[in-house]
Amino acid sequence: MTALEFSRGYLHDAALIIMTIVYTLRLYWLTRFTAAKERQAPTGRGDTNSRKGFLYSWANVAMPWAMESTRTKLFLYLQFVIFHLGVAAAIALLFTIAWGYGDRSLPPSLAMTFRIIIGTAFTVGLMRIIRRLSSPYLRAISSPDDHFSLWLLTLWFAFAFLAAPNNVASDAVYITVYYIIGSFFLVYVPFSKISHYLYYPFTRYYLGKFLGRRGVFPVRRYSGATGQNG
Amino acid sequence: MSTTVRSHKAQKVIERLGKKLNRQMVGSLAACVHCGNCIDSCHYVLANPGDVTFAPPYKADKIRGLFKRHYDWTGRVLPWWVKAKSVYTDQDLEELKDIVFGKCTNCRRCTINCPMGVDMAVFNRMARGLLVSVGIMPEGVAVVSKDQWEIGNQMGVLKEDYIDTLEWLSDDLEAEHGARYRIPIDKKNADIVYSINPREVKYDPRTISDAALIFGTAGADWTMPSEGWDMTNFGLFSGDDDLGGAVSRRLYEKVEELKGKKLVISECGHGYRSTRCEGPNWAKMDVKFDMESSVITMINFINEGKIKVDKSRNPEPITFHDSCNYGRSCGMTEEPRELLQMVCSDFREMYPNRAENYCCTGGGGAMSMSEYTPRRLKSAKIKADQLRATGAKHVVTTCHNCVDGLTDLIKHYKLDMKVTQLVNLVANALVIEKPAEVPEVIVVAPIAAEAVAAAAVPAFATDGFLTGKRILVADDEPDFVTFVTAVLEDHGATVIPAHNGDQAMELARTEKPDMMTLDITMPGKSGVEVFELLRSDKDLQRIPICIITGKPELRKLIYERTVTRPEGYVDKPVDEEGLLLNVRKILKAKLEKRA
Ligand code: SF4
Ligand code: SF4
Repeated sequence: MTALEFSRGYLHDAALIIMTIVYTLRLYWLTRFTAAKERQAPTGRGDTNSRKGFLYSWANVAMPWAMESTRTKLFLYLQFVIFHLGVAAAIALLFTIAWGYGDRSLPPSLAMTFRIIIGTAFTVGLMRIIRRLSSPYLRAISSPDDHFSLWLLTLWFAFAFLAAPNNVASDAVYITVYYIIGSFFLVYVPFSKISHYLYYPFTRYYLGKFLGRRGVFPVRRYSGATGQNG
Repeated sequence: MSTTVRSHKAQKVIERLGKKLNRQMVGSLAACVHCGNCIDSCHYVLANPGDVTFAPPYKADKIRGLFKRHYDWTGRVLPWWVKAKSVYTDQDLEELKDIVFGKCTNCRRCTINCPMGVDMAVFNRMARGLLVSVGIMPEGVAVVSKDQWEIGNQMGVLKEDYIDTLEWLSDDLEAEHGARYRIPIDKKNADIVYSINPREVKYDPRTISDAALIFGTAGADWTMPSEGWDMTNFGLFSGDDDLGGAVSRRLYEKVEELKGKKLVISECGHGYRSTRCEGPNWAKMDVKFDMESSVITMINFINEGKIKVDKSRNPEPITFHDSCNYGRSCGMTEEPRELLQMVCSDFREMYPNRAENYCCTGGGGAMSMSEYTPRRLKSAKIKADQLRATGAKHVVTTCHNCVDGLTDLIKHYKLDMKVTQLVNLVANALVIEKPAEVPEVIVVAPIAAEAVAAAAVPAFATDGFLTGKRILVADDEPDFVTFVTAVLEDHGATVIPAHNGDQAMELARTEKPDMMTLDITMPGKSGVEVFELLRSDKDLQRIPICIITGKPELRKLIYERTVTRPEGYVDKPVDEEGLLLNVRKILKAKLEKRA
């Protein structure tokens, strides 16, 4: 068995199993904490409620106009979208090769699509590294895990980009490294900040439900002269 | 060798943290990705560029680090990797105190700007509660909490003072408008039980008389409780759920005892949030009666034709400040605007507004923490710029805390603006068609351009009451003495200034003033010493004393004395109206005593 076959097969599958187990434990851990109960009667405007609140809260990620922090920093928002599309594409590529194409090359159009998305995400990864290192605020709040996760993801994008055509004959090293880093991620993610997507539905659900009942979500804005608020 | 010896308090904080965690909080503590999106949502950051210690995630991480170190697996195994950090000494707790009390007003602005839904305000409050549980808190928080636990309201207003205030307000109202304007106390089965902020009794009784004027004109079936009337709740600020529950329960039980149909909460952001929203959770009570903000009550009175208003009586440009507790925690942003459109003719929005408005910077109990005042005023620059940009002459807010916060920053940044509340504007615009016993007088002069200053002063403060009165003003701040002198002399009093404790004693002895105002911290003899000496002196003990201080946490030094308490107590900053009302009240009480 070659290193490529091992990393694409056993290693990848084992990592997936570990990830599933750890994620399950993580979710169990979170749900062991009881959810705070609301006794108060709803407040605020009558045109919203808990349900509308959490739906709005979940949809928030796709509504850059909804928060001042994204509305006023659209370029950063665009980077966020590209980066996360890149992650999704790099994960999809793992499975496309391991469970689909095996040793066969990807069709050029598919490989190109992966490369465009992942390549752009790699560029964004570099920009994010620069931002994290140059902003005194981000430097002050970043942990080794924050830096490591970002560096490694960006590196993974680079290898995913190189591996995307899946030319086993010429690119075996890239594909092998791409799988090794990918498998490492599967195991590492539940322990790192990258697991935030596991919490995302919970935090946004609870915040949305709470602020929906309080009549705050969806946030009402006013189109005014300065445009800041509209 | 490991050095994990922990102070008793640090150990308790860690243990109690585990008991306070719930799923929402754990989600917020675990989910932050340190993206930095929320950083410039915080007014502290904007006013202190470059100081990373004000950044919301930086502050949050001080609490998060503790959580990770003890309750999250990565932090337990690899603490340095995720910046998990425990607390070991009381000094560590003091540092945490500086952050959770001194660098965050729990305004929730970063929360609504966080893509992950991290609710900073919730766990910052939780951390405050942990520190309070081991006795680590700003002095002012301790004093106010103690008053609310022991006396039943957060400003230590005694029952007799409260009733006395309602009585003299009733007397004034009756004299001007007739008997039906008297304030009913402890009336059973009333449609409305009206609860207020103790600040209204102490510094701003006009808001009570304005509300009474509105209720009276509307012919409302209403009452004010003799006890359990304080709708504020310092538990919200201190993070002490037990205090929160006790205070809420006191109020709810009083309404039940009176068999009131609805509890109406006067304009106060944190009071409304505590009573209407958080109280049932803290008190673990399912409240059976309705609760509403007085803003809604006033709108209903107008819509139902119970009162008529004339918006031309409030012609000055007016802007509106959304309190964080209404805007970001209770969703009440439209009703005040609806009412403003009914009662004033030049309303201008402030930007940003509603849920995106900036904190008045006095929120989260900040006004009671004088050790952070310079920091608070510096961070208030953002609010000052926002206010200035409106060009308005009045800023209206539905919160007493914001009134104080805004008044303070308006003075600090020298803005040409006054703070007012909706109840004052509604009373001002009120058309009283058939005054019951005294014709033609409307209690408050309209806010016309030339009458702005007069409008801020109630009729009884301009009635020459101070004519001939000699008032000793003891304070080491020359600006303050000048201000008080100008206000009192404008109303006919003669002011005898003293700039230190020794001088105050001497002048009290030689001049025998009708009353005196006394600062607590002064060079030479402190205000506390002067107070005690005066009270122990047979000749001087009858001089009524009003303590005026910028350090509310020192109040206990006065109240702990065994001598008779001071006749009045006012926190700085003091405005003209508050000063006159207090002086007038003290002198009136003195006259009555003599009679
Ligand atoms: S925006 Fe949210 S996730 Fe990002 S740093 Fe702030 S609290 Fe953390
Ligand atoms: S809650 Fe308000 S004051 Fe506290 S960190 Fe967030 S924005 Fe700043």
